[in-house]
Amino acid sequence: MTAAAWICLLLPLGSAALITLLGTAVSRRTAGWIATLSCGGAFAAAVVSFVSMLGRSPEDRSELSTAYSWLAAGNFKVGLSILTDPLSMLMMLIVTGVGSLIVAYSLGYMDGDDEERRYFAYMSLFVFSMLMLVQGGNLLLLLVGWGLVGLSSYLLIGFHHERPSAVAAAKKAFVMNAFGDATMAVAFFVLIQKTGSLEFATVFSKAGGLSSTVLALVALGLLGGAVAKSAQLPLQTWLPDAMEGPTPVSALIHAATMVTAGVYLIVRTHPLFELTPHVQEVAAGLGTATLLMAGLIALVQNDIKRVIAYSTMSQIGYMFLGAGIGAYANAMFLLMAHAFFKALLFLGAGIVIHALHGEQDIRRMGGLRRLMPRTWWAMLVGGLALAGMPPLSGFFAKDSILAAALAREDWYGDVLFGVGVAGAFLTGLYTFRMLFVVFGGEQSAYVREHPPHAGDDRLVDWSMGLTVGVLAVLAVLGGWIQFADRWTAVTNFLEPVARSVVEASGTQETVASICAVLLGLTGIGVAWWVYSARRSPAPRSWAVLEHKFYFDELYNGLFYWPAVAWSRILDWTVEGPLVNGSIAGVATATRRTGGLFRALQTGLVRLYAFAVAAGLAVLVLVFIAVR
Amino acid sequence: MLGPDTAAYLIVSAFLFATGALGVLIRRSPLIVLLSLEIMLNGANLALIAFSRHFANGDGQIFALAVMAVAASEVVVGLGLIVAMARKKLELDVDKLSSLRG
Amino acid sequence: MILFSASNVLVWIVWIGAAFACLGSGVAVISFSNPFYSALALIGNLGSLAVLYLLLSAEFVAAAQVLVYAGAVMVMFLFVIAYLGGRADAPWTGHLTVQTTAAVVAAGALLVEIVLVIAGQADGHLAGADEITSAFGSPAEIGRLFLTDQLLAFEITSVVLLVAAVGGVILGSHSRRADDAGA
Repeated sequence: MTAAAWICLLLPLGSAALITLLGTAVSRRTAGWIATLSCGGAFAAAVVSFVSMLGRSPEDRSELSTAYSWLAAGNFKVGLSILTDPLSMLMMLIVTGVGSLIVAYSLGYMDGDDEERRYFAYMSLFVFSMLMLVQGGNLLLLLVGWGLVGLSSYLLIGFHHERPSAVAAAKKAFVMNAFGDATMAVAFFVLIQKTGSLEFATVFSKAGGLSSTVLALVALGLLGGAVAKSAQLPLQTWLPDAMEGPTPVSALIHAATMVTAGVYLIVRTHPLFELTPHVQEVAAGLGTATLLMAGLIALVQNDIKRVIAYSTMSQIGYMFLGAGIGAYANAMFLLMAHAFFKALLFLGAGIVIHALHGEQDIRRMGGLRRLMPRTWWAMLVGGLALAGMPPLSGFFAKDSILAAALAREDWYGDVLFGVGVAGAFLTGLYTFRMLFVVFGGEQSAYVREHPPHAGDDRLVDWSMGLTVGVLAVLAVLGGWIQFADRWTAVTNFLEPVARSVVEASGTQETVASICAVLLGLTGIGVAWWVYSARRSPAPRSWAVLEHKFYFDELYNGLFYWPAVAWSRILDWTVEGPLVNGSIAGVATATRRTGGLFRALQTGLVRLYAFAVAAGLAVLVLVFIAVR
Repeated sequence: MLGPDTAAYLIVSAFLFATGALGVLIRRSPLIVLLSLEIMLNGANLALIAFSRHFANGDGQIFALAVMAVAASEVVVGLGLIVAMARKKLELDVDKLSSLRG
Repeated sequence: MILFSASNVLVWIVWIGAAFACLGSGVAVISFSNPFYSALALIGNLGSLAVLYLLLSAEFVAAAQVLVYAGAVMVMFLFVIAYLGGRADAPWTGHLTVQTTAAVVAAGALLVEIVLVIAGQADGHLAGADEITSAFGSPAEIGRLFLTDQLLAFEITSVVLLVAAVGGVILGSHSRRADDAGA
C-alpha cells in the first residue's frame, strides 16, 4: 500500500524534473504527454494503493512510512514520511484522478502555445505539491506541500507573464496566501514549543493537556491558513483575479484541488479544532458568510470564468460549513463531488473560450446551444449538479451538510441552515443565468462573426472532448456512493480517521433535501424567466455587488496605501541619507582621497627629493627621541 | 689619535651632506643636481672613513671604495642621460622634465 | 683633549685648513650659476677631502679619491659641460619659493639633528679612538680585505661598474642612431 503511495507521490515530481531538464530537446506535445502519462501513472498507483487499503480491516488502514530522518534538533525530530490513511487516500484519488483528466485536457487546450513545456512542468510540480500536502506524514511536510502549492499557483496564474494583469493577480494570490502561511507557521511554532513535535499522533494526543488559550491560538493559526488557501472571508479577493491563468489551471488549482486544501487541513487537524469549539464555529460562520456573499457577487459577473470562480468560493463555503460543524465526511464528500462538476464546468467553459478565440465576456456570447451541442449538454449536467438537483452528485453531497447543520439543534445550526438554503437559491440562479445567456437565445453578433469551428487537429478535439465527457459521467454518477443515512460509503471509509461529530436523522435529511431542491429549482426558474424566456428585463445590478462588497478597496486602504506611504517615508529618511548616503559617501571619500594622492604625483623630481629629505629628517628625529 | 676627535670629522661630514642635500633640492639644472649628489656621497664617505679609523676596522674603507665605484657608475649614467636630453633638444630643467614619456 | 705637541698642532692646522676648504667649496658648488665653476669647486672639494682622509690614516682611499673621483669622474663632468656649452648654464630663478624655503628647512633640520647627536657624543660611543697598526689603510691591507673578508663587495662592485659601462654605451649609441635617422 505505501509503496504504491510513494510512487504516486514521486511520479509527478519526476515528470516535472524530466520536462525541465529535457527542455527544448523534446517537442512541446511530448512534454504534454510526459506530464499526462505521469499523472495517469500516479492515479494508477493511487488506485493500486486504494485497492490494497480496502483489503485491510478498517482499523489497520493507517500507515506512516518514513524515508529518512530529515530534521533533528535536540528532541525535535522530523522525518521525511508519508501518511497513507483513508483521508489522504481519498484526496490522493481526487487529486490524481481529476488532475490527470485536466492535464490530458491541457494537451488540447494549450496546443500551439509557445511555452507549453513550462506549463506542463508547472502542472506536474503542482500535482506533486498537492500530493505532498495530502500525503505529508507530519505537519511540517504538510506545510512544505502547502508552500509548494502556493508557489505552483503563483507560477501558473502568472503563466502569461507578458500580461501585467496576470502578473499582478499572481502576486496578489501569493501575498494573501503568504499571510495564511505565516499564521500557520505561528501555530506550528506554538505546537513545537508546547508539545515538542509536529507528528500528527503526538500533537493530537498531547493537545488535550494544553490550555484553552494556546489551543485557540493554534486553531486560529490553522484557520488563518485554511481561509487564505481556500479563498474564504476575509481573504477571498485573490480567487477571482486568479482567473488570469489558463482555464485548465483554473479548473485544477482553483476549483478542484488547491482551494480545497483548507478543508482538508481542518478535517486532518480536527482533534485540535474539536478542543476549541468556538474556533470551529467561527470556521463554519466564515464559510457560511462567504457562501452567501460569493453567491450574490456571482449574480452580476460578466466573465464566464469569474462566475464559476465565485461559485467555487461559494461551494467551498459549504465545505467549511460542514467541517466547521463536525460533519467531516460530508465535507469531504462535497469536496469530491465539487471537484467533478466544477472541473467539468471550467473545462466546458474552456472549450467555449477556445472555440470563440479567447472571448470570455458572456454578454458577447449567445445561442451556442445549436453550434456546440455536446458542450451544451456537458455544461448543463455540470450546472444541474452544481445546483444540487437529484440524481446528480451535488444533490447527495450538499444536502447532507445542510442536514448536519440542522442536527446541531441549536440556534446557530438553524442560522447556518437558513443561509445555506438561501445559498442554494442563489446557486441555481447564477449558474443558470450563465448557462442561459451563453447557450440560449439567439446568436450574438460576435458569435456570428466568429463562429466556433472544429479544429484541424484530431488530438486537440479528442483530448478536450473525451476528458470533459469523463467528468460529466463522474458528475452524474459520482454522488451515488453515499445517500443520506441509507448507504454511507464515504462516512464509513473515513470513520477511522475523521469521525463525524454530528449525525443527522432521517427526518432532518429529508427536510434539508426538500428545502434545498425546492429553492434550487426556484432559482433555476427565476433565471429562466429573466434570461431565457425574457419575460422580465434583467434587474439593474447593485453597485455594492459589482464592486464585490468593496473588499478590494478596503484592503487597498488598510494595507496597500499605508505600506506605500511607510516605504516612502523610509526611503526619504533611511534609504536616501543612510544607505545611499553611506555608500555614496564611501565612493566620494575614496574619490577625494584618490584626488589628494593624485596631487602628489606631479612628476617633479625636486618634490620627490624634498619628500625624501623631509621624511629622513622626521625619521632621524624619531630615532633620537626614542633612542 | 692626533688632531681633532672623530666627532669633528663627523660634523664636517654632516655639513657636507646637508649642503649636498640643499643643492639637490634647490637647483634646477640636472648637471648641478648631479654635482650636489656627488657632494652628498662624499660626505657619507667621510663619515665612513672617520668611523673606520675610530673603530680601527678596515671595513669602512672598503665600503667607501665601493661607494666611490658606485658613484662613478651613477655619474656615467646620469651624464649619458643629460647628453641624450640635450641631443633631443629638451630644456635642461628638472621642473620642466616632469613627464616620464619620450 | 688637545695635546700640545708639535705633531698635534700641525695636524690641527692642516685639519682646519682642509675642513674649511671642504665646506667652502661645497657651498660654492651649489651656489655658482656657471656649471664650470661649480665643477671646479667640486674638484677642490674632492682634493680637501683627500687630505682629510690622509689625516685619518686612509692612504689608499685618499689616493683612490684623487685618481678616480678628481681624475676620472670630474673629467667626465667637464667634458659634458664643455659639450653642452651654453645650454649647461643654470641661473637662479630669482624669487624665493615655498619649495626653496621648505628645502632649506628640511636640510637644516637634518643638519641640526645630526650635530646634536654627535655633540651628545652618541651615548658615549664616540669617547676615544682605538689604536691602529701601521698597516691600517695601506694598499696591502685594503687588498687583503677585498680578497678575503669583503670578496662579495668586490665582485658586486665590479658588476656594477660593468653595468654602468654597458649602460653608458647604450645611452650614447641610441642617441647617435636616432640622430642619423632623424637627420
